[in-house]
Amino acid sequence: MATLTEAPPPLTPTAPEKKPPRKRGRLVPYWLLLPGILYLLVFFALPMIYQASTSVQTGSLEEGYKVTWHFATYWDALSEYYPQFLRSVLYAGSATILCLILGYPLAYLIAFRAGRWRNLIMILVIAPFFTSFLIRTLAWKTILADGGPVVGALNTLHVLDVTSWLGMTEGDRVLATPLAVVCGLTYNFLPFMVLPLYTSLERIDPRLHEAAGDLYAKPVTTFRKVTFPLSMPGVVSGTLLTFIPAAGDYVNADLLGSTDTRMVGNVIQTQFLRILDYPTAAALSFILMAAILVMVTVYIRRSGTEDLV
Amino acid sequence: MTTVTNKNETGGDVRLSGISKTYDNGFTAVHPLDLTVPQGSFFALLGASGCGKTTTLRMIAGLEEPSSGTVHLGDQDVTALPPYKRPVNTVFQSYALFPHLDIFENVAFGLRRRGIKSVKKQVEEMLDLVQLGEQARKKPHQLSGGQQQRVAVARALINHPKVLLLDEPLGALDLKLRRQMQLELKRIQTEVGITFVHVTHDQEEAMTMADTVAVMNAGRVEQLGSPTDLYENPRTTFVANFLGTSNFIEAEVDSKSGDDIVLKAGGGKLVLPEARCSAPTSTGGKVLVGVRPEKISLTHADEAGEIPEGRNRITGKIADSSFIGVSTQYVVDSPVCPEFEVYAQNIDRDPRLVPGADVVLHWNPAHTFGLDATQDIDAGTEEEAAV
Repeated sequence: MATLTEAPPPLTPTAPEKKPPRKRGRLVPYWLLLPGILYLLVFFALPMIYQASTSVQTGSLEEGYKVTWHFATYWDALSEYYPQFLRSVLYAGSATILCLILGYPLAYLIAFRAGRWRNLIMILVIAPFFTSFLIRTLAWKTILADGGPVVGALNTLHVLDVTSWLGMTEGDRVLATPLAVVCGLTYNFLPFMVLPLYTSLERIDPRLHEAAGDLYAKPVTTFRKVTFPLSMPGVVSGTLLTFIPAAGDYVNADLLGSTDTRMVGNVIQTQFLRILDYPTAAALSFILMAAILVMVTVYIRRSGTEDLV
Repeated sequence: MTTVTNKNETGGDVRLSGISKTYDNGFTAVHPLDLTVPQGSFFALLGASGCGKTTTLRMIAGLEEPSSGTVHLGDQDVTALPPYKRPVNTVFQSYALFPHLDIFENVAFGLRRRGIKSVKKQVEEMLDLVQLGEQARKKPHQLSGGQQQRVAVARALINHPKVLLLDEPLGALDLKLRRQMQLELKRIQTEVGITFVHVTHDQEEAMTMADTVAVMNAGRVEQLGSPTDLYENPRTTFVANFLGTSNFIEAEVDSKSGDDIVLKAGGGKLVLPEARCSAPTSTGGKVLVGVRPEKISLTHADEAGEIPEGRNRITGKIADSSFIGVSTQYVVDSPVCPEFEVYAQNIDRDPRLVPGADVVLHWNPAHTFGLDATQDIDAGTEEEAAV
């Protein structure tokens, strides 16, 4: 065998050249943030400040409005329009619960049982977004029209007797009742419930179901102890995404309801665009925002989802 | 071997009879299979991925419905029972710990589902058994891989199942931790005396841990036996290659003398004990002669005369050698087999044994085994598995 005594490569101490930290590179993230920050500043922060100042102004259309720090507007607005506030919370809350009841089984089906139909059902869930919100709501006007097939069927099944006993409908009508408004809200915000639910259900490792079954949990117990707790992030974000816009909505109450079903959104709209009482409208907007913030904070604290991975 | 036989529970064996699994798409994962796992034994199902070992395990657990056949636990036919009614628990491949529950609640899960109220003492004892008493209130993601693995074992064992099923439980751990956990699991099994059915693709793992190993290939059990039995007396080329390494020589039956068969291979003769031949041995028939690399001695051709009589011998030329510390591995090019592997202990190294040297390979005929020559010589080797 040939003995190859090759000289070892010279051991030169090659100290890694230290590159000076590039200053330009460190600023890049901030430059990338700039467009977003500017956008928010112009279209969110400035209008908010403007609204806040409007809400404490006094005056009239003819004389012009001036900032007089008139906080009493808030109290006046609240004491005059609290029924509409309560109604907003009630309708949006009912719609959110209905969305959860309808949306959870649907999201569960898509996530675990749909197999190759999964994408098709997802498209069906999102499809209504391809038409305008207004047109969809107007369509419900036709669906729930007096003497129409839906109302007829509900009447025959004596469902309307129950709902009118609950104060949600009146006589043979569905349109222009609280039920119609809640139905419209439920329909319009259902996808906002289904999508986050689906996302969090789909993330659950199916082996956890097997493991629960292996550890003597019946299917119902598996759902109660494993699936549902693990889908809590989806339940929380779904209910928030449904409740928050529903509470501020006025289109459904406007098109499907009557003067007795006016929500706070309708009041704000009227104050701004018809009565032109800008301070009251701005104050109402801030009250609504504050109320929602408080409710959401309490809700997130109580549901304890920050602990979930 | 420790065989724990509980007098109160006679016949706690796992019996699979004619069990098979064919999926809707027509793929048969497990061909009709009969298997009995004796109570209290540590049983390993060994095979490459896709051989049907996990499917078999899942059928015992009830997570997969068999297409035919029955599963018995002791005298009870559990084939139609859903998993939550079977006295069987599983340690899943990636543990499947409940991420929203802490370690204590994970371990207590099975007890609580069976309506046991006071679980504290039992859970604490079990956590001590797997040395995790301190971690009880942590969430699974706060633990290391090895700790999670022990939680998975504790969560299953606390229910005192008739059988504990382990689906590649050590697959996600690094080598050193895996060796440690192998000993740990073996210790726990000896301590609790529960039947363990362990699925693995790691032949070393199966051999170190199990009392009995079933080698599976393409949905069938190739051979079943103790690790030594499988290693020393493989009955198919698949087993011979999958468990360690084997050298094969194609030979022809020449004659019989006493308990031995004399075979012709190349120019020379080889002797094979008839008891170690699993192939038909009619004169003139072909047989694959196998021998393990560590049984072979290497002698330089110049000293061929010093080899004692009565040993099987073949000649060749060293093609390659690699020093790996405890031994040196040689690849010898021989007329009867192009790549003959020899592992030599590094006791007295002959400096002449370098690539290019002419050598004589010789071994005790008792270490020879004979296999049916109609099979694929390369079945079960790594090259084949990669295809």
